[in-house]
Order: sequence, then structure tokens, then C-alpha cells
Amino acid sequence: MMPMGQTAFLRLLQLADSALPIGGAAHSFGLETLADEGVLTPEDVETFLSAYLEEGGALEAAFVRRSWRGGDLQAFSGELSARKVARESREASLKLGRRFAELVNGMLGCSLLETKLHYPIAFGAAGAALGVPVDAVALAYLNQSVAGLVSACQRLMPLGQAAASGILWNLKPAMARASLSEEALCFSPYAELASMRHGSIETRLFIS
Amino acid sequence: MTRQDPPWKVVRSFALAGHGRLVHLHNVSGGVLAGDRLALNVEVAAGAAAQITTTGATRLYRHRAGARDSEQSARFSLGDGALLEYLPDAVIPYAGSRHVQKTEIRLGRGAALFWWEVLAPGRLAAGERFAFERLRVETGIYAGERPVLRENFLLEPGRKDLSAMPRMFEYSHLASLCAVAEGRPAAFWRALEDRWNEIARGRTRPGQTVWGASALVSDGAIVRGMSMSGRLIHEALLEFRSAARLAVTGEDAAPPRKIY
Repeated sequence: MMPMGQTAFLRLLQLADSALPIGGAAHSFGLETLADEGVLTPEDVETFLSAYLEEGGALEAAFVRRSWRGGDLQAFSGELSARKVARESREASLKLGRRFAELVNGMLGCSLLETKLHYPIAFGAAGAALGVPVDAVALAYLNQSVAGLVSACQRLMPLGQAAASGILWNLKPAMARASLSEEALCFSPYAELASMRHGSIETRLFIS
Repeated sequence: MTRQDPPWKVVRSFALAGHGRLVHLHNVSGGVLAGDRLALNVEVAAGAAAQITTTGATRLYRHRAGARDSEQSARFSLGDGALLEYLPDAVIPYAGSRHVQKTEIRLGRGAALFWWEVLAPGRLAAGERFAFERLRVETGIYAGERPVLRENFLLEPGRKDLSAMPRMFEYSHLASLCAVAEGRPAAFWRALEDRWNEIARGRTRPGQTVWGASALVSDGAIVRGMSMSGRLIHEALLEFRSAARLAVTGEDAAPPRKIY
């Protein structure tokens, strides 16, 4: 991996913090459906997320990389919208992208990022603008994405802090592999269905 | 029909009640073999209506060493105000098959599309379940220049476990039905999503069959289903299709006459 400056590294850490105030904690991306039906249990979370990284994670990493390299970001976002068929997850990604762009623009004091982009695309573009190497940007994106999903699982099932930390620790190799994805391939119909069916749950903690 | 080459054969068209023509596509070789390159190009003229189906499932045969992966590409172009129902039978990848499937559908102004596809796990009766080597699927549906649905996936059961929860989990069959009508507003598709999800809730039996629907980014909606049985899939697809046809065209229409 190319070296990066200390300031760029610290800014990347901040942007990839799961506590970044962009509303990520409001979204489970369909995991709530699986937990509600008893299909996803604490014992399954690590295996589930490992397979998720091979599919949805790899797809988003490919778009982070594409955006980092520049080009028509609106067109990339349009294509990603066409690939995210589950409406709640699609809208969540756009909402996070908008809030992320507004936050970064506010901190920089200029309109660096467009505000109608999917989250992975806004993240990739921000990383490039801040001088962070692409490999680090893709890795950081997946790390914060998976950390958010694990956090959602902690609220949905009896998954303690130590166990959650262990899951995140163990998933690092899978994150590293997925982060290198350049081709936008994804096959995750059951996870997608969970997102489509989320609106049918009687009592919901999450928006998606 | 301006051209047909073996192994494709277009069975003569039949008039549909009301408006349009029904066409059956027949692969006279009985299936898709290693090295085959099949291409289907369909243009539905402005204002015209067509219903296209197949005479049987698309059987993907075992790969032959030294041959290229088989490939089937289908391109559909709908003129302004055209209506296309593309309702093929299931794709059944036999053990050892290697195949690429590409589908591109482009809709003109005011055109409408109903398209379903069903992916079976193999010849279940022969004990085949995800025993194929490789299946690559690329799909693109466009309303004008807008991408409405894009799918691109690669299945290699020997390398990535299809029974992983985000993928097929415990289910064997996968189905999708897309309804697309260029220019309809977002509120229209949210209403269809709600109607479809009402049907989906009634037909979902976790562990047996599960359905869900969603409005697409624009101009359309999709319903997806996973099941332990192909029979459960088709019963549901017929109901979803009927609801979508009524919503989009104001009238229901008979599906292709066959035993599902």
C-alpha cells in the first residue's frame, strides 16, 4: 500500500469512524428482518458477514475504487441505484451519502462533494480529494460498513461487546480481500429479500 | 420475424385476446451445449404488443473439455408505447455446465415490460443441486437512457457456497418478475410495491417459500422469490403478474397456455 501523510491518515480514521454523525446507526440493511424471524443468531453473524463481504461488500468496494479514480460520479451513482433493487437499502445508501457529503463539505468549508451520491461513491471521492491511497479508502469503507452491521446486530440480539469485537477482528482478512474488488459482481438474493421485506415487520428499530 | 437460424425456431404467432401476438421460442437441439453461442434480437414496434415464451426449460448441458463456455444473449428493443411480456420457462443448469447469460432490454417512451425469470438448482430428481460449474448472468433494463435494473453475478458453487445465508440460504429456486413502464411516477411504483408485498406476505412460508417486492430506482418494480419447489414459484408468479398487468395496463391478460 502506498504511504500516506499523517494528516490524511487521521482524517481517514475520522471519516471511517462508525460514530461519524451521518445517521448510520439507524440502518440495519435488512438484518432486522433476519433477526426478527430468528434466522440470524449471534452464532451466525460472523459467517453471514463473511459471505456478505464477498458479495455486497465487494460490490461497494468496486464503486469506492471507481469513484476514487474520478469520472462521472452521478452516472456511477445511477448505476449503483440500478443494482440496489431493495428500495429501503437503496434509499439508505443515498441518505448516508448525502449526509456524509454535507458533513465533509462543512468541515472543508467548500462544496467538494456532490450531495446526491451513494455513500460508497461519496466516500471514494472524498478519499481521493484528501490524498488517501485507494487501497486504504476501500479498506476503511468496508471496515466502517461492517462495524455498523455488527453494531446493528448488537441491538437486535444478545451479542456482547467482546463477542462483537471478536467478530470484527476475525473478519479483517475477508475485508481485505473484498476491498480489492474491481468488478461490480454481487449475488445476495436472500439478504436482498430481507431488505425488501423489512417494511412488513410489525415493530422496527431501524429505518432499513 | 425476419431471421431464424438453428437451433432457434420461432413457432408461428397466435393472436392474443384483445391486442398483440403470442410467440413461442423453441430450441430444436433440446438444450444449450458447450461452445454454443445463441443470440436473440427482438424489436417490438411502436404501439405493438407481444408475448414471448419458450416451449420448455432452458437446459444447460455439461461442459465439454476444450470448448468455450456456452453463451446466450438476448436483446429486446421496445418502441414508443410498445408492450412486451417475456415469460420464458426456467433455466436449469445441469451438473458440470458452464454458461454465460446476457439480457438487455431497452424501453422507448411509454413502453411497458413484464419479464420473469426462474433459476432452478439443477435436475433435482437426479440429485443435482447447485452441481453446475459456473453461471455468469448479466442483465440490464433501461428506460430511455436511464438504467432501471442492473445485475451482474457469477456463481461458482465449487468456490463459493451458494447455501450461505446472504445467497440462497436453504432455498433451491430463485425467481424474479419485473414490471417496467417508462415514465410512470415514483408514487405509482410504491403503490405496486405495496400491492405486491401484500400478496408476498400471504405467500411467504419461511423454510418453504419467501417473497418480497420493491420499487426500482425509477420506472419499475421487482418482486423476488426463493423457494424449495419450482411449482410454488410459478403459482405465485402468475398472481404477481396479474396484479402488475392490471395496475400498468388497466387489464389482466391470460398467461401463455401451459402447465407450470
